[in-house]
Amino acid sequence: MRRPFSYKLNIFLFLLPALILFLGVLIAPIAMSGYYSLTEWNGLGTPEFIGFQNYVELFTSKSINIMRALKNVMLLALLSVCIQLPFALLLALKLSQHVKGERWYLAIYFMPVLISSVVIGQLWIKIYNPEYGVLNTLLRSLGLDSWTRIWLGDKNVAMGACLVPILWQYVGYHMLLMYAGIKGMPPELNEAAMLDGCTPGQVSRYITIPYIRPILRVSVIFAVTGSLKSFDMIYVLTNGGPNHATEVPSTLMINLLFLRNRYGMGSTIAVMLIVLCFVFALLINFAFKEEK
Amino acid sequence: MKKLLALVLAAMMLLGMMSFASAEDVELTLWSIAVESDASYQTYIDGIAAFEAANPGVKVNHETTQNEQYKTKIKAAMSAGTDLPDVFFTWGMSFLGDFVNADRVLCLDEYYDAYKDDLAKNMCANATYDGKLYGVPYTMSCVVLFANMDLLKEAGWDHIPETIEDMSKCCEDLKAKGIVPFGVSGKELWCLSEYLEPLMIKSIGTQKLIDVYEGRESWDNEGIKAAVTAFQDYVKNEYFDPNAAALGNDEVKTNFIAGKYAFYQNGSWNCGDISKSENAASFKAGLFPVLNPDNASLYELIGGPNNTLAVTATTEHKEEAVKLAFELAKFMSDADYKSGANLPCWTADPEAKVSDLVAQVVDIAGKAEGMVLFGDNFLSADAANTYLDYIGLAFAGEIDAEGFCTGLAAELSK
Amino acid sequence: MTRTKINQSDIPVAQQHRFKWTDVLVQIGLILWALICLFPVYWMFTFSLKSNEEIFGQNVMGLPQHWLWSNYERALNVGNMGRYFFNSLLVTVVTILITLGAAIMATYAITRLKWKFHKKMNAFFMLGLTIPIHAAIVPLYTTLSRVGLLNTYWALIIPYSAFSLSMAILICTGFMGDIPYDLDEAAFLDGCGVWGIFCRVILPLMLPAVSTVGIYTFLQCWNELMFATVFISKDVFKTLPVGVQSLSGQYTTEWGPIGAALALATIPTLIVYVFLSKQIQESFIAGAVKG
Repeated sequence: MRRPFSYKLNIFLFLLPALILFLGVLIAPIAMSGYYSLTEWNGLGTPEFIGFQNYVELFTSKSINIMRALKNVMLLALLSVCIQLPFALLLALKLSQHVKGERWYLAIYFMPVLISSVVIGQLWIKIYNPEYGVLNTLLRSLGLDSWTRIWLGDKNVAMGACLVPILWQYVGYHMLLMYAGIKGMPPELNEAAMLDGCTPGQVSRYITIPYIRPILRVSVIFAVTGSLKSFDMIYVLTNGGPNHATEVPSTLMINLLFLRNRYGMGSTIAVMLIVLCFVFALLINFAFKEEK
Repeated sequence: MKKLLALVLAAMMLLGMMSFASAEDVELTLWSIAVESDASYQTYIDGIAAFEAANPGVKVNHETTQNEQYKTKIKAAMSAGTDLPDVFFTWGMSFLGDFVNADRVLCLDEYYDAYKDDLAKNMCANATYDGKLYGVPYTMSCVVLFANMDLLKEAGWDHIPETIEDMSKCCEDLKAKGIVPFGVSGKELWCLSEYLEPLMIKSIGTQKLIDVYEGRESWDNEGIKAAVTAFQDYVKNEYFDPNAAALGNDEVKTNFIAGKYAFYQNGSWNCGDISKSENAASFKAGLFPVLNPDNASLYELIGGPNNTLAVTATTEHKEEAVKLAFELAKFMSDADYKSGANLPCWTADPEAKVSDLVAQVVDIAGKAEGMVLFGDNFLSADAANTYLDYIGLAFAGEIDAEGFCTGLAAELSK
Repeated sequence: MTRTKINQSDIPVAQQHRFKWTDVLVQIGLILWALICLFPVYWMFTFSLKSNEEIFGQNVMGLPQHWLWSNYERALNVGNMGRYFFNSLLVTVVTILITLGAAIMATYAITRLKWKFHKKMNAFFMLGLTIPIHAAIVPLYTTLSRVGLLNTYWALIIPYSAFSLSMAILICTGFMGDIPYDLDEAAFLDGCGVWGIFCRVILPLMLPAVSTVGIYTFLQCWNELMFATVFISKDVFKTLPVGVQSLSGQYTTEWGPIGAALALATIPTLIVYVFLSKQIQESFIAGAVKG
């Protein structure tokens, strides 16, 4: 085929809107974040170039304590992959096996995904309220007074209390993804296996799950990167408190930027987040390829 | 790259959705934290209405943002230097100081003379940098100990304890009656500082506390240690609400007014809410007793003129904006005083009728022998947050007094 | 167009009768999880209609004894909920339109036109899938502020569009792959240029992608909190999450009106969902399958 100049120009024109958005609003600001991360800047004067000092301080400073924030998101990612996803998979498998009320269950399980995290967070704040909240009220009425806690104010349980709504909200999201994958399977596959005398459990294990592998990979990537950059729910529930026990990198970043006026250090965390998300996405891709 | 982005965004701007002000009238934008639930909300509305009536052709757009979000917003706007209001609410000392250092704030020296009879020079100390005035204070506040006298009576006390030993005894008596002595929000760290700072000033005295804040004296000193120890003893003895960690300040205040705590130590700006309540008669304002009588006296206070209005350097209507800052500050100083929301900075009307609680606080402030501004306003943003973090840790019992002092000394000396 | 149909007749019927009692267990489990999903919403609606006395007293979880509609009145009057909702809707709809337009055009260039670096270009756009939106906050803030776009709808629409783009391109690639190449060639023989093919062949057949891109973009924008908090300070431009958050900050002690505000923020979404849940799920599923 001929490739005249006008053809190339057209390609460029088709790409233009997306490129402008992508380069202008994503790539360029991130490059600038990269530069700011090498400076000391209070947001008001001019940034002062200081090399990699911010990175050194980030990983050594006790008051920033990035390790605690990383530990928290890693815990979230781990629970997400080990509890949330298997549970979502279980629901998806059951629902796709011709259960009564399938449509209803799908609709109800997906509903929390559509509700704003702020609304859900505010609701859970009320649920966790030490005096009037549903949880403690329930525990007291069961005679389990010793189990009651100041859920969001006790550093030993606060992170756990934050994890529950986050994991809860997105079960439906992953379930629907997996359900879609299962429904997309050619029916012959299952039928053949059934005829061979496989139990539904065996079909799931040896036919269905391997078949929806690509979807599982997407789910794992979303769950892990989503955990790494989690913000909304933590911001609403505790904003990193009590005493930074529930801090995650993005709340730490906002704290450094806008409470402590440390724009350079805030940008350093931003850069670290990008690198982390990227590395984990690559690792997960690699892991899923390897086993094939 | 920035230029490219700017170009792109500017192109999108052409699509519309932008509004332009008409050129004939002067429009001033005012930013404040007086959201509808704020005690000064109505005063702002009234003050602006009065200003607009007295200055025809000037319109004031009042944009309000909730306290914590406001800090983010004003700092971000100052950092960018565009899209700034003409007049803005600010706290004194370091908060305004950062903006002054960045040349974002208009110097008010040449305008001050017209108002000097009503606004005493010493009231402007927290808005003065290198001898130049950059803000107009409109209220003064100090930390006071609000007491529910009905609950104290139940525990056998007819007055607020006057010595530190009596205070402990009183708390024990209250506890024996099943009454929580102190209400505090552990979620909002500044509320904890409202308890710790009076202990600090009453342990080391006014001048030494200022020296500590300004770095001339180390945080690692016996007086501070004694204050933190006392503070932590109150926590250990369960004098504070056990649910404190989950409560915000508004909830604590509501609880106190509802009669859940015997004491609530917080800013004098709470006078309005407390004296508006049905059982206002049971409340009294006092002071926390002295921790170390060798160094300090009862009337050394935490507080000072703090709520301030300032004018941005970039305002297009200097005269009008400055006028708004001064006139509104004057109006609010007066109105807030009369409504019991705060103490006046400007010369107050001696005939004004105020609530008993405000009268008690005015009496206290009148006897002041020294005043130190709130630590988180005094210190720079970064240091203030580290300092508040340490108070949080001390309250949670994660560090002891020794750890508090050596830790802060090391972190803030950098 | 092959759309994934959720159709019971396609499914091989498992040997239902043999596993009767496990079926019952499965149903119990499913119902339990459904209750857990529904409970917070149920609770929100009930406490939004109660007074503090009821919420804090004996009737924590039951239906309200006195239905206090005045809570809603207060939330509407004080909270500006209608305005916030309109803002969220406007921002989301415009974002979806921009994202969709840019994504379909880019996908066309990447998948349908023949050139050297089309695969690299695709990989480049896919970078956006893992980049956290928060990483760009400082430069975006300063730039938006410099060009005077803070406190406008564009301050949210532009970043949201950019950050939704990668997912949209991914989805559009799947949908566009379903359009037979014969159609392009036929149109080409009819004398259409690339623009002609794009407008007459591709665009009409990409209609099914609209709802799918729409739902994914909606999920990304509707709940976004960080940009919306930082870039918008004027009350009239605040979106729902920010509005709800600041309202809850102001009224920590009165649960009724807060509950009403939360409910008001949720009801419209729920109504749409009740009527369109099947379509929404299918669009979502289509995205998963195509992507």
